[in-house]
Amino acid sequence: MLRFLGEQAAVKRQVLNANSVEQSFVGLKQLISSKNWRAAVDLCGRLLTAHGQGYKKSGLPTNHTTDSLQLWFVRLALLVKLNLFQNAEMEFEPFGNLDQPDLYYEYYPHVYPGRKGSMVPFSMRILHAELPQYLGNPQESLDRLHSMKIICAKILENLEQGLAEDGSMTNITQENRQASVQLWRSRLGRVMYSMANCLLMMKDYVLAVDAYHTVIKCYPQQEPQLLSGIGRIFLQIGDIKTAEKYFQDVEKVTHKLDGLQSQIMVLMNRAFLHLGQNNFAEAHRFFTEILRIDSSNAVANNNAAVCLLYLGKLKDSLRQLEGMVQQDPKHYLHESVLFNLTTMYELESSRSMQKKQALLEAVAIKEGDSFNTQCLKLG
Amino acid sequence: MDVNQPKQEHLLALKVMRLTKPTLFTNIPVTCEERDLPGNLFNQLMKDDPSTVKGAETLMLGEMLTLPQNFGNIFLGETFSSYISVHNDSNQVVKDILVKADLQTSSQRLNLSASSAAVAELKPDCCIDDVIHHEVKEIGTHILVCAVSYTMQTGEKMYFRKFFKFQVLKPLDVKTKFYNAETDEVFLEAQIQNITTSPMFMEKVSLEPSMMYNVAELNTVDTAGESESTFGSRTYLQPMDTRQYLYCLKPKQEFAEKAGVIKGVTVIGKLDIVWKTNLGERGRLQTSQLQRMAPGYGDVRLSLETIPDTVNLEEPFDITCKITNCSSERTMDLVLEMCNTNSIHWCGVSGRQLGKLHPSSSLYLALTLLSSVQGLQSVSGLRLTDTFLKRTYEYDDIAQVCVVSSEVKQS
Repeated sequence: MLRFLGEQAAVKRQVLNANSVEQSFVGLKQLISSKNWRAAVDLCGRLLTAHGQGYKKSGLPTNHTTDSLQLWFVRLALLVKLNLFQNAEMEFEPFGNLDQPDLYYEYYPHVYPGRKGSMVPFSMRILHAELPQYLGNPQESLDRLHSMKIICAKILENLEQGLAEDGSMTNITQENRQASVQLWRSRLGRVMYSMANCLLMMKDYVLAVDAYHTVIKCYPQQEPQLLSGIGRIFLQIGDIKTAEKYFQDVEKVTHKLDGLQSQIMVLMNRAFLHLGQNNFAEAHRFFTEILRIDSSNAVANNNAAVCLLYLGKLKDSLRQLEGMVQQDPKHYLHESVLFNLTTMYELESSRSMQKKQALLEAVAIKEGDSFNTQCLKLG
Repeated sequence: MDVNQPKQEHLLALKVMRLTKPTLFTNIPVTCEERDLPGNLFNQLMKDDPSTVKGAETLMLGEMLTLPQNFGNIFLGETFSSYISVHNDSNQVVKDILVKADLQTSSQRLNLSASSAAVAELKPDCCIDDVIHHEVKEIGTHILVCAVSYTMQTGEKMYFRKFFKFQVLKPLDVKTKFYNAETDEVFLEAQIQNITTSPMFMEKVSLEPSMMYNVAELNTVDTAGESESTFGSRTYLQPMDTRQYLYCLKPKQEFAEKAGVIKGVTVIGKLDIVWKTNLGERGRLQTSQLQRMAPGYGDVRLSLETIPDTVNLEEPFDITCKITNCSSERTMDLVLEMCNTNSIHWCGVSGRQLGKLHPSSSLYLALTLLSSVQGLQSVSGLRLTDTFLKRTYEYDDIAQVCVVSSEVKQS
């Protein structure tokens, strides 16, 4: 950022850093919700150092607590959100495959007397499993997710047979058992979701579609969205007919959504179908129809503008996107929108560099430190 | 893609952008449970993200369209679409602007512009836009030549051109194989390989037969009234995947008689292939006329009209042979001999005369035989002797029949 803007402008940004908040979980949450994720990563580092961990402490005997693991999880999760996948991979390394003895309660009997099991947050395991696909190794992700799936399924089986999660005899109440079953069912669902996403990244479309069908079983309330998503997968393959079938199936289950949402979904799918049939004019009409119902719909706005470009209306397209970004930058600032804008600036004139610069300034003032400048293609 | 002429300051700027279909933005979901440190924050962040699917934020495939990042590849049969924009970069009004777009290949030059009329005037910071489409019909180097001519306020006429070079690649590798059946049918196996870098949905692969043939495609199966593709749920081809399509060609009635006497090369038909890629980007190719070398039959051809697929062990069964005099002038006097093999035993009289057979005509002969060995047996052992030329033609392995023990076969 500094490189492009100069010091003064950098100061102008309403950016919080690790120093400007309370050095605690409360401060951390502030940084996260205000999208100052780099600062949040820093703060995690500081809090971990206070715990006796973190920078330059690898190799020393560990002293994990549930809190310190949560801090690690948050730090790693934010690194992934910042697309800093290699950093995340490096920092995950000392944890191995998350099953080392010092990650279990039994290892700290003086701190957690009587407690058994893994201290690693389930969400951290999900993160650990999903990470390799972002580094170009989706097969590794799939393998890790598969192991998780087997364990979740086994735990559910134990619970359903009246045993404890780890298979031992137990005397927990019906209520507690129900709660545990619900928890593990939702965890299994989360794993299936990851697997479906991973298969999609691998472009194994047949398996991905099957996996998403399984996800629908775990999350029946998301059936309309998932069926629409599968329809989009077929559009990406080029199988327009099957995509159409899926979009028709969506219309049969839109009762699961509230009136407005279901209307928008149907219109969105129709627009996509027209795109698949090369009909940009009709697609534009449908995206615009959505805006009539929901004028702040970022996707419809962006997509309508994209259609305008394909119809030969560069200026109109730019006007739509610029209007959108200026009207409510906090809401509309998104990599994709900005990428589209800068692509069109390049097409429009030789003075695109200045326009991009101006855009960057506008963005910088409004966004936290998590903004990915690469989408502005400044070089 | 830019190959420019030497620099000269112009008031107008020309920009070109290839319009492949847009792609869908993929989100990276980062979630946690309520009990984790961030609580509901991560979920809230995903909900606030404008590009996630509302209600299913964990779904990676969003709905936000992203414009193409680069030129990409272009393949024979696809449609080349491009945005051409002429922008007035100056602060003066420019008159009489004419924009021409041509596509230059190694063999021809095509005009692609939608309109050939000049635009009267172009104010500062305004632009003239055009989207051109062209179905690419040649492989190799293509050059998009954009020429802009305009008149300045001073009356001076200006002109500049820009060249954009690109390569058109081959998308499919098609191999064909012909199989001659024992009857007059010809089976065509077409092997199609996707040699592009993205998955391809094969919308239609059909064989357009030449005049002589009727074609039946054998790539769908009718189950319970619905026809299902033989490729099942795998409706697309990944890069480097291959598929085989099968067609059966039967000579039409009026050509059926001649079929026996066809010699040399015949034209079978051509393959018409239509495919789709990302968001319905379409491609279409036709092969050149496929040719088949007719198998040499010599002067006398023996083919099978009817034969059962499966027969019982040691039970006699009937076949019908068709004997054709392939010569154009000689009438033949043929004698039929049947020789037994280890597995095939002929029933009937061997060494009988079949009577006179005129040129280009056929006769039908019913024969009975049985097999003494189980399994797939080859029918062999027929001999036809031309009494005039004292020449004998041997016919072995003219067909296969499956021989099963009578306990197995449900007749």
